[in-house]
Amino acid sequence: MSEIYDIGYRHYDGPRLGRGYSTRALAVHSLRGVFGLGRPARSKIVPFALATIMLVPAVVSIAIMALARQPGIPYSGFAVIMQAVIAIFLAAQAPTVVAPDLRYRVLPLYLSRPVSIAEYVGAKVTAMTVAVFALVATPLTVMYVGELVVDLPGPPATGEYLGSMVTALLLALLLSAFGLALASFTPRRGLGVASVITVYLLASASVPIIYASMAVTGNEEAAAWAWLMNPFWLVDSVQSWLFGTPPHSIEGGYPSGPASAAILVVLIGAAVAALALRYRKAAAQ
Amino acid sequence: MNTVVAGITYRALLGRRRIVLLLLLPVALIGLAVLLRAFGAADQATAVELMKSFAIGTMLPLLGLIAGTGVIAPEIDDGTIIHLLSKPISRPVIAQTKFLVAVTMLAVFAALPTYVAAFILVGNEDDIAVGFATGSLVAGIAYAAVFLLLGVVTRHAVTIGIIYALVWESLVGNLIAGARRFSIQSWGQSIADQISASPFLEADVALGFAVPALLVVTVAAVFWAGQRLRVFSLTGDE
Repeated sequence: MSEIYDIGYRHYDGPRLGRGYSTRALAVHSLRGVFGLGRPARSKIVPFALATIMLVPAVVSIAIMALARQPGIPYSGFAVIMQAVIAIFLAAQAPTVVAPDLRYRVLPLYLSRPVSIAEYVGAKVTAMTVAVFALVATPLTVMYVGELVVDLPGPPATGEYLGSMVTALLLALLLSAFGLALASFTPRRGLGVASVITVYLLASASVPIIYASMAVTGNEEAAAWAWLMNPFWLVDSVQSWLFGTPPHSIEGGYPSGPASAAILVVLIGAAVAALALRYRKAAAQ
Repeated sequence: MNTVVAGITYRALLGRRRIVLLLLLPVALIGLAVLLRAFGAADQATAVELMKSFAIGTMLPLLGLIAGTGVIAPEIDDGTIIHLLSKPISRPVIAQTKFLVAVTMLAVFAALPTYVAAFILVGNEDDIAVGFATGSLVAGIAYAAVFLLLGVVTRHAVTIGIIYALVWESLVGNLIAGARRFSIQSWGQSIADQISASPFLEADVALGFAVPALLVVTVAAVFWAGQRLRVFSLTGDE
């Protein structure tokens, strides 16, 4: 016969903050981790250096507007122009969101609390999305404020700016979901960085070659679809459908319209599903 | 060269998920070559473009990064390098062994697929296949040495390596011709240009600069990696 003894532990009768609170706390903690806040200075170098590089074209663009009195870099093309820097940021920082938890085996601890797998994945994707969005949106906003201050002849491109902000959010969601899904397959940060950048480079480096070879042989229609293999051009084609901006591909236009938006939604869904599946056996490395 | 250390390193590199990454890029390269051939676009200009922009421009730096840092960085990350360093093996010999392992990986996963892809496209015309295979092998040796050194010096080796390969070699190298003098892939291209007689291949860097540069960079990086291992101290992660 067993018996439960009251050995005098005090009960917790303070407020219970609930799942929403813990999910929010996890998201904020992950977001701070992306930028290295609350970590040593060494971890802040890479994210802040990349964020500074993102601001350089914005400053140049304002200088062009102020001195030459003509429009600088178009808002709608900013993410496509800076895609290498954004991709490096994603590759370098996505593993810092997911790898340490796997590496130090703290997931069972998280999941023994009210936080469920869906909330854990949601918090991580939200944190990374906010980080990538901030990376793209800050220079865009700086450029827009610059345009308002410089006061070019003609009305300011408010519509294009707002459209590019919505597009930046879509891009951030797509990139984060994919980056985290790739990075979460290994507890090693270095390997995570390498796998994310490998997938991006595979997509971006093979696209012009595929496009050129198909265009040369007369498959112009099919060739245009090749651009959509690169996530930045895919989101750009959705932007040109939603907001009527000109396409920013290297040469030739690309198919735009509901089809590319559907591809975008399917891809985001697939990446989030892959993440959820990966964490189904949470502690497995 | 220590065969036991080499064996352990091979097992660590090939036994885990790293092998998927090492295979992904060469498979994509050969796949692209087959695709181009199927579309009937297999001429010398396309072959040279594919080799320059994809084989040497994208695949080689990435594989060099994965293999070069992969031979030592995971051990440093885990702290298991302590077991290796506490054995009576000269530290420079450890560095040299790991360098040789990385070089053989690059020969198998980078130089060989480069030859196969070029051969699929144009056969042995004008020695394009041989030239690019040799160029990527030689440049791969230099990449392996540099990224091995990076892996010993810093824990952010992969990120720094990507910034070097993408921002310096690709972005800055495309805009400023002078930057190409200090990029390993351009040196590999000069070697390819020297061997191949193709009129479509035009190297930016003279062979007289590329060969000594490759030698100096490789020897200095391996030597320095050995020296760094001699005074290596294991510090905590973030």
